[in-house]
Amino acid sequence: MSTVVKNQLRVCLLSVKYNIMRAMVNRVAFLMNILFMILNNASFIIQWLILLGLKPEIGGYTLREIMLFWGLAASSYGLANIFFARAFSLPNLIISGKLDSFLVQPKSVLLSVITSATASSAIGDFLYGLAIICAFCFSVQRLLLFLLFAVTGAVIITAFAVLMGSLSFWFVKAEVFGSNMVNSTINFSTYPDGIFDGAARFLLYQVIPVGMAIYRPVHVMISFDLTELLMVLGYAVLLSAAAAFLFYRGLRRYSSSNLMEARI
Amino acid sequence: MNAIEARDLSKTFRVKQKEKGMAGSLKAVFRPKLQEIRAVDQISFSVEEGEMLAFIGPNGAGKSTTIKMLTGILFPDEGQVEVLGIDPVKNRRKLAYEIGTVFGQKEQLWTHLTPYDNFRFFGAIYDIPNSDIETRIRELADTFDLGSFLNTPVRNLSLGQRIRCEITASLIHKPRVLFLDEPTIGLDPVVKESIRELIMRMNTELHTTVFLTSHDVGDIEKLCRRIIIVNGGRIVLDDSMEHLKSHYLHRKHKENAQPSEVTLESIITEIYKAQSLQHPEAPEPGMEV
Amino acid sequence: MRKYMVVYRSVVMEHLQYGAQIAVGFISYFIIIFIQIYLWNYMYGESGALIAGYTKQQMIWYVMITEIIWFGTRTTTVTKQAAGDIKNGNIAYMINKPYHYALYILTKYTGEWSIRLPIYAALAGCMGMLMVGGLSGFRPAALIAALPVMILGVTINGVFKLSISLISFWTEDSNPFQWLYDKLLLVIGTIFPLEVFPVPLQPLFKMTPIYTVCYGPAKLLVDFSREKYIEILLAQALYLACGLGVLFLLYNRGVKKLYVNGG
Repeated sequence: MSTVVKNQLRVCLLSVKYNIMRAMVNRVAFLMNILFMILNNASFIIQWLILLGLKPEIGGYTLREIMLFWGLAASSYGLANIFFARAFSLPNLIISGKLDSFLVQPKSVLLSVITSATASSAIGDFLYGLAIICAFCFSVQRLLLFLLFAVTGAVIITAFAVLMGSLSFWFVKAEVFGSNMVNSTINFSTYPDGIFDGAARFLLYQVIPVGMAIYRPVHVMISFDLTELLMVLGYAVLLSAAAAFLFYRGLRRYSSSNLMEARI
Repeated sequence: MNAIEARDLSKTFRVKQKEKGMAGSLKAVFRPKLQEIRAVDQISFSVEEGEMLAFIGPNGAGKSTTIKMLTGILFPDEGQVEVLGIDPVKNRRKLAYEIGTVFGQKEQLWTHLTPYDNFRFFGAIYDIPNSDIETRIRELADTFDLGSFLNTPVRNLSLGQRIRCEITASLIHKPRVLFLDEPTIGLDPVVKESIRELIMRMNTELHTTVFLTSHDVGDIEKLCRRIIIVNGGRIVLDDSMEHLKSHYLHRKHKENAQPSEVTLESIITEIYKAQSLQHPEAPEPGMEV
Repeated sequence: MRKYMVVYRSVVMEHLQYGAQIAVGFISYFIIIFIQIYLWNYMYGESGALIAGYTKQQMIWYVMITEIIWFGTRTTTVTKQAAGDIKNGNIAYMINKPYHYALYILTKYTGEWSIRLPIYAALAGCMGMLMVGGLSGFRPAALIAALPVMILGVTINGVFKLSISLISFWTEDSNPFQWLYDKLLLVIGTIFPLEVFPVPLQPLFKMTPIYTVCYGPAKLLVDFSREKYIEILLAQALYLACGLGVLFLLYNRGVKKLYVNGG
């Protein structure tokens, strides 16, 4: 590993570590955030119990498989918000000119920015996902796959957030649009893909990255398929590259921007 | 070689306007109005290595915008900059290893962690190996007397101690140029004095070039031998402190004023006022660009 | 009372500027309803049978209306801002002002939803007509009758959310409680009507504020009946009184604590 990458990684990890240390200063609030987030997620089990009470199978899935969707979505989203929480508030940083302090540092601006915060409740999300897997459909192979896909899912969701957030470099009003798109990934990922067809399916696999972040991985976990697994990995790399490209293009614009709002 | 070299720097901003009342709100929805403000207008100057320069001006004069262009945060619309021979626009990252920045109103420290933890973090940012960073922290803590609160969380420090740490953190990588944007803002006179001492010691012992903006005349008078005054985006004065004072003393002498009435404060106020008469449509006060 | 009107007017004015942004926020609403339409299409299948006494159209319109309430009232004023004021000590400066802090925040909240809610309602109405079709047997009179129920429901929601924020006087972070309230609202009253739950649970849910916040207005709009109307109005009056009681109690206790401990 080259020293540049190593130094960069060291800074990122230190940043996340300090974020968590900061959150832990108030121990009660920290633990409450985690615990209540778990309860929060668990409340949706009620929704599915009710729906499955009305119909024994939804989109070809029973409770066990639907919980896989939920678990993977929670853990991916959790990981993304433990390591890259700032990716989700990127527009705010861009619009209020808060990238300045990152620009005077000799490190990757993108990585420094997105690792500069951690949502402590995200730890609850991650743990909830793990608990769901262990409770509803445990096997060693599945757990390993689950961990791998939680990472790729986190990368895909983060990259998508960066991609959407970077739109704010060009359009101030893009903030609301971007955050709506990102939220929609979360909304979709907690419903099984079997209920969607036609245009909706196209949307989920081609426009919003839910298909690659959640649906395909769940298929692989239900019945293993190497090609699908490789597709997910490739997609994660590709989307990250696209996100980095757009962000740095935007950053040049940020530095040469003439809008006062961004610079006071 | 000059530490800083700026030629014909210019930057223009656009500001949104809104007319008063409900009608104005409605109008702004459909047709937002933009007003152009020339924040920096053809500024040229150079700073020698090891120099301490005061770069001052009233609010909205273009000080911060200039600093941002010198550090690579903002790109100039026109003109060239070189800091230590490096172009901030093309080589921002390379430049970052060589310069330090302290913005008095913005914190860069992690407030829930100790100065020691913070220094470790900044050390990592500038690729200082863990073995070296311990010695560096000890060195800086000795030079600037931080020993007594090195392990106290920053949020429990007094404002003065916090600023000392801010400045120290920006020195961790031995920068050759340090940009200080109002480092003594909101501090009491005693603490101000100790911060000035720290800056002084840094300049003499580490030979750091200092680019200082401040509204505090004391800072300028005690630290800098040269002063640049900007107003309305332009340089209105670039002179040595000594020359500036003697020049005004001389003029006041002709007007039969007492020498004791001619303070740096009064000189600067006079220059600010004279300039704002010339530029009646200068940006509204309170807008720090 | 006049000063609250001025506050209300200023907030409405300020919020008008964000009209376009609020409309963009409709994307999220659209996507959620989009999912719900697929979900209920799947659940009802081709049979055209009733689920829990609702036709497919009624079910989807029910969800659309409750989500309008959810989105229309989604401002941070009663949550983050109020909790923030308490946490960072700003409240100490605000309690000395010549208005009641809690009422000031509620006024601000009202100003915000009176811009947001109509925008969402209009857009959602169009979306519903296009994607779901009009409700059979819907009378415009029901809309007018349900209006006060809607306003009361939204107000009760604000009172409860603000009360939860006031917990910040005692704990560092009231956010987790906010999530729980939200989830209760979402799972019990928003994503499907009360009647879907097992019969023994229903009376229990009727005693929660959710019944008056989202179930009430939505139920009356999709399936109006005079008995329900009176029942829900009574429940709302009761809940508003209780909610305000809790709010003022928490507020006064909190302020007293502030005076004793100095913030």
